[in-house]
Amino acid sequence: MMQSTVTPSKIVREFDAPKTLVFDAWTKVEHLNNWMFPMQGCSCEFVKADIKTGGSSLHKVTMPNGHEMWLFTQYEEVSAPEKLVFLQYFSNKNGDIVQMQHIPNWPKDMLATLSFEEIEGKTTITFLWEPRNPTAEEIIAFESTRADHDKGWGAGMQQLQVYLSSL
Amino acid sequence: MIQNHKYILHIPIWVYIKSMPRLKTTYDVFSAIGEPRRRQIIELLVHKEMTVNELAEACEWPQPTVSKHLGVLKEVCLVSERRMGRYRFYKVEPDKLKPIQEWMHQFEKYWGGALDQLDDYLINIQKKGKQK
Repeated sequence: MMQSTVTPSKIVREFDAPKTLVFDAWTKVEHLNNWMFPMQGCSCEFVKADIKTGGSSLHKVTMPNGHEMWLFTQYEEVSAPEKLVFLQYFSNKNGDIVQMQHIPNWPKDMLATLSFEEIEGKTTITFLWEPRNPTAEEIIAFESTRADHDKGWGAGMQQLQVYLSSL
Repeated sequence: MIQNHKYILHIPIWVYIKSMPRLKTTYDVFSAIGEPRRRQIIELLVHKEMTVNELAEACEWPQPTVSKHLGVLKEVCLVSERRMGRYRFYKVEPDKLKPIQEWMHQFEKYWGGALDQLDDYLINIQKKGKQK
């Protein structure tokens, strides 16, 4: 099969902390439970954590409305304090992966690659997110959902968002 | 007469025509919006209902091109059709677009948010460290 490539989605963020601490925050449960959730009012609990190359973890994020979300993470590379590579999946509380049934062709394996770089006591994380070994259909699904001005949605998408949020 | 009778026994041509597109490709929502021209149609229909001719004019494409892409969008129910007299008006179906929009923002929303939490957390624990 021909190997196709996609451009990963990317977030770059600077933190006012040394690299070792920022890396620990990603790999030690005593830190992770304090921040690994998408917004204020959520809580996070790691029930299983073997965070090393080839290891895995299982954690629960409880949303402000009480909704629980289980996430299973498989670590491909844990190289302190430089690089972290993992695959993360929605799962049930046993850590069994749950497929996204309502989104046809959404990539099954989403790979996150984080690199840590320290300059003068501040650490920059470069976070890449991409499908791993995607099929042609999965590439279309991934690419078609991003707001990319060159080949994706144009300015009309802004309107669409305003429209959808007003419903 | 005999020839005519034979002709009637043939499967009418429209059966082939109607089933042809399905044999070629089956679309889902994502492959439907994977084509830039179909996204352009959706973006135009977000503002208002339009006819094929209005779309053709706005896009500056031949009318059959618009019809072809509208057909795909209709097949996956991203666009619906309303008949009024001789005209057919097309509009987007927001319910079908919502999951796409949610996925589009999933990465930025989820991880962007988590990184905000990390930022706050790191500031907090370092403050505490200095106080000791």
